[in-house]
Amino acid sequence: MAAPALSVVVPMYNEEDSAGPLVEAVRSALGDAYAWELILVDDGSRDRTVERIAVLMAADPRVRLVRLARNYGQTPAMQAGFDAARGDVVVTMDGDLQNDPRDIPAVLARLDEGYDLVAGYRERRQDVFLKRRLPSLIANWLIRQATGVPIRDNGCSLKAFRRPVVDQLHLYSDMHRFIPAVAAATAGARITEMPVRHHARRFGQSKYGLSRIAKVLADLLVIIMIRSFRDRPLHLFAGVALVAFLFGILAVAASAIAMAYFTPVKATALVFPSVALVWFATAGYLLMLGLVAEAAVRRYGRRVAPVAALVQEVR
Amino acid sequence: MAGLSVIVPVHGRQESLDRVYQEYAPALMGRGEVVEFLFVFPPDGAQATRPLEPLKAAGAPIRILQLAQPAGLARLTRAGATHATHAFAARTPERETGAARLHRRLFHWLARPVSKGQFRDLGSGVGAVRRDALLATPAYGDFFRFLPALMMREGFAVAEVPVARHAADQRPSVYPPGTYFRSLIDLLGMYFLARFTERPLRFFGLVGLLLALPGVVLLAVLLVQRIEGVGIANRPALLLGTLLLALGVQAIALGLVAEIIVHLNAPTRRSYRLARGSDGPQPE
Repeated sequence: MAAPALSVVVPMYNEEDSAGPLVEAVRSALGDAYAWELILVDDGSRDRTVERIAVLMAADPRVRLVRLARNYGQTPAMQAGFDAARGDVVVTMDGDLQNDPRDIPAVLARLDEGYDLVAGYRERRQDVFLKRRLPSLIANWLIRQATGVPIRDNGCSLKAFRRPVVDQLHLYSDMHRFIPAVAAATAGARITEMPVRHHARRFGQSKYGLSRIAKVLADLLVIIMIRSFRDRPLHLFAGVALVAFLFGILAVAASAIAMAYFTPVKATALVFPSVALVWFATAGYLLMLGLVAEAAVRRYGRRVAPVAALVQEVR
Repeated sequence: MAGLSVIVPVHGRQESLDRVYQEYAPALMGRGEVVEFLFVFPPDGAQATRPLEPLKAAGAPIRILQLAQPAGLARLTRAGATHATHAFAARTPERETGAARLHRRLFHWLARPVSKGQFRDLGSGVGAVRRDALLATPAYGDFFRFLPALMMREGFAVAEVPVARHAADQRPSVYPPGTYFRSLIDLLGMYFLARFTERPLRFFGLVGLLLALPGVVLLAVLLVQRIEGVGIANRPALLLGTLLLALGVQAIALGLVAEIIVHLNAPTRRSYRLARGSDGPQPE
């Protein structure tokens, strides 16, 4: 079969009830207007999701199944879908019918305006406020402030990507929450967002909760570092080392003042100099770590350099 | 016809190897499969091969492999799997007694976070495994004892079945103290690898925060006392607070370096494995 122009990637985990309606909704939304394929990534479901998809594949060859060996989580499932996608444009969405495939044509039209990545945002979210929408608001605000990528709904899975962006995204850990930030950081993608529909979950159980805030914070620190210091980690570590060194100098100064103006006792002679030594040693350690990071970037950094396809000749 | 390669890593074994072959060969050959026995030796194992030579000369399906470099159980077994003719490989069992059994139970109790309690005998020497699955599983060094858990983590289907122990096989009944220490270190390593390989900052960040936060609190208390006029120049708490904060910063910095390395390797390493027979090529 010839490679389609559009690949729709949908991670599925225990979505036996959603699989049929989802395929029907995509078929109805895209019809024959596009040469498309629908890649359903089974993330180690324990129910009958795979069997349902097998039936759907037999009825429509545009439906493809990628089966993961076990349950890895949404990010690896998304990456598996990207690896299997053949289209020049890739659209991602949730498998639980909360996204509406009828939005795909509008998202594609927006992509044609000259963007590399179009992110949907759920204009009227049909979720419980305290448990879902509030954590989401906090997480999105944090992500916006930290990454500088002005996307208001990073949790919305409905996104469209151009092929060069997909080729540059190498997702791991829980990075599906930060795809626009990662795309901006690693591929220099031109990003925009647009409102999309959102439906309440019809089948199955939600797989998210409040616990994600702590994970988001840790991952955010990584994204900031990648975005700001990926090519020059020594600057980050040297900056922190300089702060530690200044603390050491302060301790030396405090020690000198204590010895000169106050009654000298043994403890005074020990505490401030020891504090200074701790900070000087920390500064040295951080500098060495920075050198190790710099060496790693020099050795392997070429693998993640932005591709020429994302460089536009403007004149 | 399916074939079976029986890998016998000769690593600290005390029994006679010709007896191992004579005990197992009839039962395995009676299954109608093509069977070969691969005895894999470290460089200093030449003496132990002698009992096998008459059997081999008589036409027994025995292959003797000797490694050029010193090797432990993991490398011997992988070498056997690499040279195995058949798709399925089996390892032969060893016998345990007394203290060894106690050690095993303690080990499994401690290993629950890693094995998720799904295995009763992670270190059993007997097992059958698909050759490609064995070679695709990153089990090296002392981590080899976690082979079933590692294979399950890689996405391979793993089952545990009861097997009889054979009197011909011997396992030491008492281990030197270093063995127990190494087991604990391995468990810590496995726990880290299982949970944090792709997100090291979550581990080092937690350790860093646990160290730095008490340090910050201690230093803040001292700062308040200093503002109130209490001298702090002779207070060991100042040194303790500084030390805790500095160690916390160092742990977090180490986590960031680890994250850089993970990020740099992301283009060449996928964190998923496709199910057998799935659409698409198996990722690296």
